[in-house]
Amino acid sequence: MSTFSVIARREMRLAFRNRSVLITGFIFAIWFPVVSAFGIAAGAGEETVVLAGSIAAIILPIGVFMGYVFCADAFLREKRDGTIETLLCTPVSLRGLWEGKAAGVAVPAYLMTLISAAVTAATVSALTDAPVIAEPLLLFHLAAVVPVWVAASAGLIGAAQLALGMRENQILGFVFIFGFIFLIIALQEVAPGGPGLSVMTEAVLAAAGIALVALARFIAGKVTRERVVLTIP
Amino acid sequence: MNAVEVRGLSRSFDGRDILRDVSFTVGHGEIFGYLGPNGAGKTTTVRILLGLLAPGAGEARVLGRDLAVDDDARARVGVLFENNGLSDRMSAAGNLAYYAGLYGVEDPAERIDELLTLVDLADRRNDLVGTFSTGMKRKLGIARAILHRPEVVFLDEPSSGLDPGAQRMVRDLISELSRREEMTVFLNSHHLDEVQRICSSVAILAGGRIRAFDSVAHLTAASGRPVVTVALADPGESARAREEIARLPFVAGCEMNGEGLLCTLSDPGATPDLIAALVGANFRVEEVRRSSRSLEDIYLEHVAPAEGGA
Repeated sequence: MSTFSVIARREMRLAFRNRSVLITGFIFAIWFPVVSAFGIAAGAGEETVVLAGSIAAIILPIGVFMGYVFCADAFLREKRDGTIETLLCTPVSLRGLWEGKAAGVAVPAYLMTLISAAVTAATVSALTDAPVIAEPLLLFHLAAVVPVWVAASAGLIGAAQLALGMRENQILGFVFIFGFIFLIIALQEVAPGGPGLSVMTEAVLAAAGIALVALARFIAGKVTRERVVLTIP
Repeated sequence: MNAVEVRGLSRSFDGRDILRDVSFTVGHGEIFGYLGPNGAGKTTTVRILLGLLAPGAGEARVLGRDLAVDDDARARVGVLFENNGLSDRMSAAGNLAYYAGLYGVEDPAERIDELLTLVDLADRRNDLVGTFSTGMKRKLGIARAILHRPEVVFLDEPSSGLDPGAQRMVRDLISELSRREEMTVFLNSHHLDEVQRICSSVAILAGGRIRAFDSVAHLTAASGRPVVTVALADPGESARAREEIARLPFVAGCEMNGEGLLCTLSDPGATPDLIAALVGANFRVEEVRRSSRSLEDIYLEHVAPAEGGA
């Protein structure tokens, strides 16, 4: 088994065993979308594509937030307790560690986001009788755009948590979340398809997500062992 | 080639010199004690050796390699920091299996069984590490550090948090690893007694400089004036014997302690003369023992002046 798989599987296992993170994730994944679903159902009429677009607009920031929630356990906890120093002495490169951890964080974060999407879609469908989950662009959004953005969120936040001190991380966590949300809204506005579900908007979002993953990988490659060690509290 | 080589190593943080021209070597299969007070720069040295920090000047090599850039060489080195590198939410065996995967250990199940038995945790193999005591975590941390059969292992205070029985187990384990597997052990410790018992050589670091670097035997023997402990058959006669001894020309000083009379000789070869003088004065001598200085004496001798004005 490759070291990437070893690290990713371990992070997934730990994420699924972390009760506090799972509870936080579940509350946010279910409470927020269900409340939003009532607003969507009331404001969007019964056009399926409009309803699906509203769901897509909510689910993407939730995916980003899930990436942040699960990152805290994988990257920040190991830095706080010093375990990262031992891991840096293994034959795995720092980028290799980051890749495994980011992937291991992204999978449960994505699954939690899918649960959120399913709950939201089911609630909206129940309230409007519109078969939103059968909307092809929403399925594409959930299957392609959301995982890329979850991975970008986990990767960027993870790289920042490796490179920054504890205090900076507390501040920058929220900056990242709001930065992502702002970026999503801005991309939807400037995309040729405009806000809502369209092929062009989804293509722009997918491309931007891939660019963010590449940016995260580039940043992780620039972080040095020394930087990580000197920011251990 | 030595297992560990440090030459002219310097490093500063925020304009403060932490290490200044530090040099020492550790031979293969040696157990080396790296001593110094808190803040002396021990951890910085180890971090530079492990490639976690860059040196400001000089060089640090382990097995002839720079671990900062050589991933393969890191696979030949083990490390135990103050933090054991374990996850509380994984079992003992799960933690070891994770590191076995990172190091590419062959037949990991057999090796994990062997090590859990060695550190007396075989019956807790499936328990979460979060339920372990500090000592049990330490023992598992040591097992983790040697899991991949490293050629050099860095141990930072390996017996901290352990009860006396477990401390002895750790000492025996370190000695056994060095002897049986020819593993080089780099030991960071404040337990001077432990270091004196198991280390073949030591370096004392204080104020960022190496104050002493030699074999333990040579350091403790090179004490200048020899000290001899004399025990009389009748301890009640000690005060009178002390007066007698103090008059002898080859005795620089004599004090009473719990073991008898502690005599500092000005002539290294005068022990037989001391015995003859006591017998001649009709004292019944029970035991005469040549004392060497402890590592603690030497440590304090080097560290105290450095702490005062390094």
